[in-house]
Amino acid sequence: MVAESPVPEAAISEILQALQKARGYIDDEALQLAATMTGLSPVKVEELCTFYSLLLREPVGIHVMRVCDSIACHMAGAQDILAQARQHCGVEFGEVSRSGKLTVIPHVCIGMCDRAPALMVDDEALGPMDKQALTRLLAQLEADVWKPS
Amino acid sequence: MKHVFFLDGQETPFIPGQNVLEAAIAAGQDRQIPYFCFHPALGSLGACRQCAVKMYPHDSKHPPRITMACLLPASDDLQLVTLEADVHTEHREIIELLMTNHPLDCPVCDEGGQCHLQDMTVQTGHSVRHYSGPKRTYRNQDLGPLVYQEMNRCITCYRCVRFYQDAALGEDFGVFGSRNRVSFGRLEDGPLESPFSGNLVEVCPTGVFTDKVFRHDYVRVWDLQQGPSVCPHCAVGCNTTPGARLGTLRRIRNRQNPEINGHFLCDRGRYAFPYVTAHSRPLQPRLKGETSRQEAVLRQLASRLEEGRSGFLGSPREDLQSNLGLFALADCLHAPFAAVTSSWAEALAQQCLALPQAPSLQEVAAADRIVVIGDLDSIAPMAGFAVRQALGRGARLTVLASSRTGLARKGDYRPLRPSALPDVVSRLADDPCLQGGRLPVLLATAETLGPAGLFALRKTLEKLPANARAGAFVNRPNLFGAAYFAADGHTERLQQALRQREIHHLLCLGADPLGEDWGAGTWRTLSPGLDGLALLDMVDSQTARAAEALLPVAAFPERAGLFVNYEGRIQAFAPVYRREAQVLHSAVHGSAFPEAAGGMKHPLGPPPPLFWLGRLAELLQVHEAWQQRLDFYLHFLCPTAPDPESPGVLLPDTLRARFAIAALPTTPTVESGQWELDIFRWYGGETLADTAEDLQSLAPLRGLRVHPDVQAEWATLQGPCGQLHLPVIPCEDMVQGVIAIDQEGFAELGLYPGDPVEVTWEQGS
Ligand code: SF4
Ligand code: SF4
Ligand code: FES
Ligand code: FES
Repeated sequence: MVAESPVPEAAISEILQALQKARGYIDDEALQLAATMTGLSPVKVEELCTFYSLLLREPVGIHVMRVCDSIACHMAGAQDILAQARQHCGVEFGEVSRSGKLTVIPHVCIGMCDRAPALMVDDEALGPMDKQALTRLLAQLEADVWKPS
Repeated sequence: MKHVFFLDGQETPFIPGQNVLEAAIAAGQDRQIPYFCFHPALGSLGACRQCAVKMYPHDSKHPPRITMACLLPASDDLQLVTLEADVHTEHREIIELLMTNHPLDCPVCDEGGQCHLQDMTVQTGHSVRHYSGPKRTYRNQDLGPLVYQEMNRCITCYRCVRFYQDAALGEDFGVFGSRNRVSFGRLEDGPLESPFSGNLVEVCPTGVFTDKVFRHDYVRVWDLQQGPSVCPHCAVGCNTTPGARLGTLRRIRNRQNPEINGHFLCDRGRYAFPYVTAHSRPLQPRLKGETSRQEAVLRQLASRLEEGRSGFLGSPREDLQSNLGLFALADCLHAPFAAVTSSWAEALAQQCLALPQAPSLQEVAAADRIVVIGDLDSIAPMAGFAVRQALGRGARLTVLASSRTGLARKGDYRPLRPSALPDVVSRLADDPCLQGGRLPVLLATAETLGPAGLFALRKTLEKLPANARAGAFVNRPNLFGAAYFAADGHTERLQQALRQREIHHLLCLGADPLGEDWGAGTWRTLSPGLDGLALLDMVDSQTARAAEALLPVAAFPERAGLFVNYEGRIQAFAPVYRREAQVLHSAVHGSAFPEAAGGMKHPLGPPPPLFWLGRLAELLQVHEAWQQRLDFYLHFLCPTAPDPESPGVLLPDTLRARFAIAALPTTPTVESGQWELDIFRWYGGETLADTAEDLQSLAPLRGLRVHPDVQAEWATLQGPCGQLHLPVIPCEDMVQGVIAIDQEGFAELGLYPGDPVEVTWEQGS
């Protein structure tokens, strides 16, 4: 990736995404590695990691569910979706559920306002969600039978 | 042609290229336009939206509109208004938004009373918070001993990160998060690494970053006595504003001098001041190590001087008048005088003075081809800062040094042994690193380059285009001043007189010939021939401990004086405060100051050196002659004494020309395979700074730095004046064959940078 970039620094987002894919999240070691590869300071890499909400700096479950809580979804009941998901996990947002299968994170608009309330599981955007649909989804995730379409 | 626009009907002058806010601040009209993210040295960002003004177009087709003053280029006859209700509402509402999360902290905030946010809030009339929800809170970081963080107070103006990353090119501080969770700090807790970290305190317009050293002995800013002073910690001579209260110095802040330090200071300049309040500072006259009455010490010293077998030793650490006072006294008594402690240092000073006019730091910042020789940041940090500013504007930097210094990481690094420098420097004129530039500038740390290197630098400069400039730096405030009247061979003559027993007594001013000054090894071997040594100084040193008579002197912010900086710029500093009276039993002794308790004529702390020298001249009955000589020399060097508020006056070229004849100094030859010495310093290291505990807690380990190729834990170095046993610190960045030690080590060995040295490597301790 570095070789394909006009300057090494330009490869940073791709490198971080690849590292996150491989490790689930960007741990300190991955952060240092990305810094060394691009010649950016670790502070600069951390600036990027904390700026982009799709990059994660904490350990997460096998699946990450990002529930949109921006305006359109909020109007359509995002808070209920979030509450239900949190209750299912039994831990706070951002933490790994007891089963280790899931982390739920409130998230800014994911561009699915027309299908509010929307959410994203790993790389897949889903919506509109309601209580039943979410219950089904959560059960599939727990049973490891959920597949992205 | 004069350019003006109109702000609320008032004419506001501007220079083309300025924005409206900048011009209004310069014209003293900033009361009309509140602002946050703009900073004169960091520029406009347009992020805070606080600086709204209403612009009336010249025609009637367009309605008036509100715009940001910091983003609006000033142009002729602009009609701007801030006094209308909608502008005022905008100001008030923006500040209310910025204040949403701000704690109601002012009574317990160190920034209170000097807070830009406080001022702007009062100015815009925002007094009631409509938001009643929970406020955002942060965990603060421990950023080391110098800067305190309280993140909840942030208004996200980004000034801190723009300073730290963009201006100071620091890499360990940044901005994290997004939206309303933005925070500013390090990756993890730990001391800030930049030598300029203290400026966060001044650029942050709120109480997020405050001065952690000031905090130990805090006082509200309106209770501070402040005045114009000059930093005494290196040859740059940054302008400072010391603040004192109840006779003790509490803090140092920047005083703007656009030609030198602009809006900033280095951490040495800001945090080295506790030498003034250190427990070890001598405050009472001492005779043979015992506190004594001033008259007794003076009489003893006068009787020594009367014998006519005394030598006089000045110092580049002391100001111009004090050195001149000492010189004048030596002159009256026909006694030998030297301004520096070794012939090497004398040659160094002369070669520095022989350089043509050095560039101001403002000019350095505008240079486009820069060569730095040695570790500039560790000697004169603000010169390193000016190089960073030039880098920010696209300058090309080449660094010649024996290790990869902070600046070397930002430019082309050429690893070189110090003994190779004179040769390389003499060939720089044809080097591609200086070609094609508009303004080439060469900056050297004088000690690493050495007298021969400085000579080569002067010759190179003659071959470069006429506008090329060079400057040489030391970590002493007054090398130019002290060296000016140190004619050729004075130091050698003084030492020779001692060797041949022509003199057996030495009167020193601010020098440490038996401690860590250059050539201390030689002085130590000569010291058995000394019957007595007298010292005027403000810090405890090895020489002070060995002195027969010690006369304490006022610290720099406690007195007036002149320093001559690396450009030959004479700058004045004024007394900012007076020390608290050291009257212990005044109630018992009535109102008169008790003679028995020290009998000081100056009950308010030690007097300046000139007071002591004047008293000595009186006792020796040469006062009139002494005063005449002093006045004459002073008038000669500095016909118009600068005002402390002025930017200083430059030494006339005719005075420098005297040194242009300085000949090529001899250099030791280093055989291949021989080890050679370079000096290791860090930005907080300097004689006065060494007593500042907080700053020194950041000091790197003492030891011998060498390339990790060497498999040894200890080493013994052998020099003409002694040997040195030091732990080995492997340093990836060092050039092979070079050993870096601190100045104390050089003093011990009796060697100089670039000298060959004998080493025995050892395993285990
Ligand atoms: S910490 Fe201070 S300087 Fe930095 S963004 Fe916040 S208020 Fe501005
Ligand atoms: S660069 Fe030198 S003069 Fe300026 S603040 Fe630092 S130590 Fe003082
Ligand atoms: S607001 Fe939820 S997807 Fe846009
Ligand atoms: S000062 Fe103009 S927008 Fe901040």
